[in-house]
Amino acid sequence: MRVELQGLRVLFVEDESIVAMLTEDMLADLGCEISAIAGTVEDALAAVSQGGFDIALLDINLAGVMVFPVAAALDERGIPFAFASGYGGKGVPPEFTGVPIIGKPFRIDDLAWVLQAALVRNRKKAAGCGEAAVEGG
Amino acid sequence: MNQFCRVDDGQSPGLSALADAPAAIFDAIPSAICVIDIDGRIIRYNHRAKVLWGEAPQPGKCLEALCESCRIYGNGRELSFAETPAARVLQTGVPVAEQELEFELPDGRSVALLVNCEPVRDDEGQLAGAICCFRDITETVRTRSALRRSLQDLEDFFENGAVGLHLVAADGTILRANQAELDLLGYTREEYVGRSIRDFHADEDAIADILARLSRGERLDKYPARLLAKDGSIRHVLITSNANMCNGVFLNSRCFTVDVTAWRQSQVLQAEAERRLAATYEAAPIGIAEVDEKGRLVRLNSAFERIFGYSREELLGLGFQEVVHPEGDTGEDGYREQAAGDDHYAVVTRHKRRDGSEIFIRILSSVVRDETGQVRYGVRIVEDVTERKQTQNRLEESERVSRELLEALPVAIYTTDINGRISFYNEAAVQFAGRRPELGNDKWCVTWRLYDSDGTPMPHEECPMAQTLRHGREMRGLIALAERPDGTRVPFMPFPKLLRNATGEATGAINMLVDMTERKRAEDEQRALIDELNHRVKNTLATVQSIAAQTMRSTPQDFAKNFESRLMALSAAHNLLTRRRWTGVGLGELLDSQLAAHAGDEGRVRLAGPEITLSPRIGVLLGMLIHELATNAAKYGALSRPEGMVRLNWSVAPNEAGRRHLRLAWREHGGPEVAPPSRKGFGTRLLERSVRVDLRGQCDLRFEPAGVQCRLDLPLD
Repeated sequence: MRVELQGLRVLFVEDESIVAMLTEDMLADLGCEISAIAGTVEDALAAVSQGGFDIALLDINLAGVMVFPVAAALDERGIPFAFASGYGGKGVPPEFTGVPIIGKPFRIDDLAWVLQAALVRNRKKAAGCGEAAVEGG
Repeated sequence: MNQFCRVDDGQSPGLSALADAPAAIFDAIPSAICVIDIDGRIIRYNHRAKVLWGEAPQPGKCLEALCESCRIYGNGRELSFAETPAARVLQTGVPVAEQELEFELPDGRSVALLVNCEPVRDDEGQLAGAICCFRDITETVRTRSALRRSLQDLEDFFENGAVGLHLVAADGTILRANQAELDLLGYTREEYVGRSIRDFHADEDAIADILARLSRGERLDKYPARLLAKDGSIRHVLITSNANMCNGVFLNSRCFTVDVTAWRQSQVLQAEAERRLAATYEAAPIGIAEVDEKGRLVRLNSAFERIFGYSREELLGLGFQEVVHPEGDTGEDGYREQAAGDDHYAVVTRHKRRDGSEIFIRILSSVVRDETGQVRYGVRIVEDVTERKQTQNRLEESERVSRELLEALPVAIYTTDINGRISFYNEAAVQFAGRRPELGNDKWCVTWRLYDSDGTPMPHEECPMAQTLRHGREMRGLIALAERPDGTRVPFMPFPKLLRNATGEATGAINMLVDMTERKRAEDEQRALIDELNHRVKNTLATVQSIAAQTMRSTPQDFAKNFESRLMALSAAHNLLTRRRWTGVGLGELLDSQLAAHAGDEGRVRLAGPEITLSPRIGVLLGMLIHELATNAAKYGALSRPEGMVRLNWSVAPNEAGRRHLRLAWREHGGPEVAPPSRKGFGTRLLERSVRVDLRGQCDLRFEPAGVQCRLDLPLD
């Protein structure tokens, strides 16, 4: 399964450097490429517009600001993403309840799983959207 | 002449003599005469006969023929001619005397005749005919009949009249009595008539008095007496009587006796009933009085006297109003309970008694009218209700106190009746609801709008108070939201409770609305704090995880020592923050704590800068960074030699945009020559990255040969 993650370009959104450094090392160990790092919602949205990444990992709380606008932007573009949170599952808006999430601190296996889950979810969504389009048409 | 004077010595006159007798004699006789022969033919008749017959019969006409158009009655029945005196005499030769006959003429008239008929013989003494003498006695008969009828009527009247009648002689002998008299007493005629009237009177004196008066010629009118009936009972009678006097002599009395026994009985019963009524009236525990059409007292009972403190004599004749309000005013406490027209009303009013004491009386007033609607008299019932009024006053006072108490409480309280209509609310309720409820109109709740704690609208009729009133459920622990007209919402906890009367029946409910704003705020705050704590702990663990991984990667050989050192630096920063409840940390104390191990007393680290407070985020990170710089200086830099030193200066200044920036400079001197490291260590990586990303500042790290120089510029807000 980890084969899938090889070469995956990751947009990593996290506001605490010490924590970020570890996650970056984990991502490198998984064979992923850090295409961009953002510590605030603004920077993250800018990075999303720029593109150039395959998947995003979002810390939910960025110095008190919630990351959900970034999630919405990613959803719009159909880019898979996952949450990493110190808060746990609470406080996630209903539209994102299906998004894969890991709590901090996490192990490298957890990280691999959540990225995997994000890819699966995205594939399902894409298929579902297609079907929905047929139905709704 | 001798022929005519022949005296009858038992023989009938001769027919031939009669036939020859002169007409003058016949006409002189004061009676109608006719002579008939043996065959009944009329031989002679006189003028009177002709008048009676109304015609002069043809010679030789039979008497029968003359009478044949008439119907003849005699002896009480119709007679044939053969039964008439004339015919009978012709048949028998026996005279008929004084026979009354009635002739009914064809024209309907009746004539009564008194007929005498004698046989007439011829010279040989053989029956040769008859001589009839008849007189019109019609009038006489008529009169006699009338008289007889009159007598019969009188007899019948006396005998069969409905009132007892009797005649009594002067000595008291009952001369005559009618059936009613006999029936009254139950005696037979033999037992009564002929006996002394005294025997039948129960009171000797009475009858003696009656007889005496009657004999004096007095008239008695409805004289009461008691008579002895045959069955032994006493009959009460009224005797109306007068005397039949003749020349001042008492012949007999004429008595009418009326039995009034039954009437007397009813009188007695009525009197008894009246006595009972009067006794009840008198003994009644409430005052009863009657007033005339002008309102003056005409009758009153003892209770009435007691209430007002006056005797009957003092009260009778006074006006009722005078008595009730001797000082003229009706008093403020007077009020009408009901006014159903003018005839009946009830009033409770204050009254000042004779002795000055004040009581409360309840007056029930009604009017009795006669058939034409005129007032006959008025009835006034008076009850002393002082005690009741005092109880009522006490009750009202108690209610007032309760109300004041509720009003004074700073928590919203309101009550409703059993149907949910609001009956009371205090001012705190008005504050709470942001509106003034309408008594009697608003139902269930004083609030403007209600919502569940999660925001779902709650109709008033389903609110906890309504649940209590309608279903008896007293819910506790529920939190709801009240929206005021101005839109603000207040969380509150209701405490509805049913109110019951003395018999346990639910009469309404009371509700207390406790404002939960503060509690909710505290709860929200606590929740937020706990979430925050949770987050921080997790982040700290992730940080520690990272520090462990980084330390392992860069200095695996000194992992334990280095890891512990970094951990302690983090902990030191946390400790300082905890002292200020994580509101911030002083830069000075932070630097002291991180440099304490390396600084020593020699003043090898010189600090200079203003005292400022850093946010927890900046504080923790800066603490870590200073720790890295210090650790590096102690291992390879200025602090690894005794003559080496570190200058640490900082300042705060606004940037172009006016935001506060911290400018900090770390300068090492007197250490060994510095060469840029081949590989970036954790500290270097952290400095460069975290200042830029985490703190959104700038970091200028230089490995100058003279010593490491590091400049930081970061916003404080």
